[in-house]
Amino acid sequence: MAIFANKDTKVLVQGITGNFGAKQTELMLEYGTKIIAGVTPGKGGQKQFDIPVYDSVRQAVANHDIDASLIFVPAPFVQDAAFEAIDAGIPFMVILTDWVPLHDELRVKAYAKRSNTRYIGPNCPGMIIPGETSLGLISGSAVTPGSVGIVSRSGTLIDEVAQQLTEQGIGQSIIIGIGGDPVVGTRTVEVLQLLREDKQTEVVLIVGEIGGVMEEEVAEYIGDKKFTKPVAAFIAGRTAPRGKRMGHAGAIVMGDRGTTESKIGAFSRVGVPVAKTLSEIPSLLRGMI
Amino acid sequence: MRLYEYEGKEMFKQYGIPVPRGIVVNTGEQARQAAVSIGKQVVVKSQILGGGRGKAGGIRVAETPKEAEEIAQQQLGMELMGYKVNELLVEEKLDIENEIYMGVTIDDVSGMPIAIVSAKGGIAIEEVARENPESIASSLVDPMYGLRGYEAINLVSQTRMTGKALASASSILCQLYKVFESYDMRITEINPLVITTEGRLVAADSRCEIDDHSLFRHPELEKVAVDRIQDFWEREGAKAGANYVGLGGNIAVMANGAGLAMSLLDMIDYKGGHAGCFLETGGGLSRERMKKGVGLLLRKAKSDPRIKVILVMARMMMSPPDAVAEGFMEAVNEVKVAIPLVAVMRGRESYQKRARELLKGTGIKLYLSVEEGVNEAVRIAAK
Repeated sequence: MAIFANKDTKVLVQGITGNFGAKQTELMLEYGTKIIAGVTPGKGGQKQFDIPVYDSVRQAVANHDIDASLIFVPAPFVQDAAFEAIDAGIPFMVILTDWVPLHDELRVKAYAKRSNTRYIGPNCPGMIIPGETSLGLISGSAVTPGSVGIVSRSGTLIDEVAQQLTEQGIGQSIIIGIGGDPVVGTRTVEVLQLLREDKQTEVVLIVGEIGGVMEEEVAEYIGDKKFTKPVAAFIAGRTAPRGKRMGHAGAIVMGDRGTTESKIGAFSRVGVPVAKTLSEIPSLLRGMI
Repeated sequence: MRLYEYEGKEMFKQYGIPVPRGIVVNTGEQARQAAVSIGKQVVVKSQILGGGRGKAGGIRVAETPKEAEEIAQQQLGMELMGYKVNELLVEEKLDIENEIYMGVTIDDVSGMPIAIVSAKGGIAIEEVARENPESIASSLVDPMYGLRGYEAINLVSQTRMTGKALASASSILCQLYKVFESYDMRITEINPLVITTEGRLVAADSRCEIDDHSLFRHPELEKVAVDRIQDFWEREGAKAGANYVGLGGNIAVMANGAGLAMSLLDMIDYKGGHAGCFLETGGGLSRERMKKGVGLLLRKAKSDPRIKVILVMARMMMSPPDAVAEGFMEAVNEVKVAIPLVAVMRGRESYQKRARELLKGTGIKLYLSVEEGVNEAVRIAAK
């Protein structure tokens, strides 16, 4: 089985009747995702694309075995929706919504940790396992099965990279967008820890960007010889203007890390090749497969 | 959204953190009156949203009300660190025995709040962090419970503070955490927290930044957020729900999603081009977002002759191509300006095909790949 999910993963959609949730549910169903229930408070008993809708996650769980919940509810309600899924014992969540308040993200992270609930997002495109299942927004027709696992913080960028690989005949084992916010459920290095055991994934592509220290963490992990599959990387933001400083506290916590130089340097030191531009990624990977 | 010093101090006051007696003024006469009512030496502090104002002359001590008036007249209207000074905070001057540092922010790796204290505060705090990191103590905080009293005591005592100062500093840190949480802040900082010669602890400055995604919970701040952005185009960008960044070159770039936008800028640079500005609209494109985004860049091109070409990259993941193409054309038809438009419309096969069909024959140069689009924009800009 691939990591996080496979073609048999039974999925709940929280916010299934909203504009965002409904449209994406339709696209995921087209791709073959096994969406078996939805939740929208006040719409229990209705159907959406023939899928039963419940008022609460608890009611959905009472009627179905659910492996994963996808959260599409509007930002102010994300914290509650995530707590609800965690309390109902759902082991895996994908939070797609963007503009989630920072402190809600902090609380969701702490709450999930307590019950060992794994989640990705918020503000993420979710994940797709080509040919098996899609849990999120990544364009089904842009991907094709293969052996490259892609991890990224950016949604539209990972979608574009996947399509470029597909156009060049390079298939993917999993494409996962962990989210672009400062506080996310699963960090890049944690995805790598899982990809280590994933048989379908032979090569990993890290699509990183300026800010944070996720790429530095990954380089450290590779440097410790804990990950032996070949890894390639791309870092967006080489020419981005310096971000506004986050006060002294930011500098104290981050030190000199977080810049593209720091990330590219960290990767180079552990032998991870870094593509110079977006369009160079396919040829870089071709040499590694 | 960054707050002014006096706004942060108002919040501190609400939570029982001692701050100096102070009055916000915007004329010299008001500054004089403020100094009279404070009744001792005062500090006249320019209220701007950037750091480093002290070194640049934005903070000055006045011995008399008359001097406060003179300083105020000099500071008001002056340009300081790129910001125009419109307001001043006139405050009692503290008798400083010692300065400490205290802050709460987010720790990137753990995704948890982190409280930080240093016995050596003031403007040299970052130097302290680099050279004597052991003199800075920090502790992760469980956001479900907040910072507990004993945790604060344990943290502050690591900085070798003792007695009354330890007790006061710990209680201020707990209150500071409450400010951080209640106002949905990304960062909340007191630097310096002054220990006066009488042994009182007073927050002499405030540095607060509220998470933009949480502004809906703070409507009084949400109202002023956009107007606070100084740069005209950045402000227009924020009004359109997007991020605008001026860069100085001649290619105006729009893309949806920050990672994609930055990749485009990097590629332009790699191909020898120079981006003039970029607008990042967020991942989901609607007709409205497309219209406002393209419209903004067209208006920018109209007012700035340096812009030679506009490059639009739309990655349609969840965005229906009809809406995207219609929004694009509405902007083009509304803002008339003779400027070459290069567009890369990408997404699932059916989406990109449909978007290209709709934009065919409109004069927009359509490209199938990002690299081709960038090459064309760079070529036009170099002419």
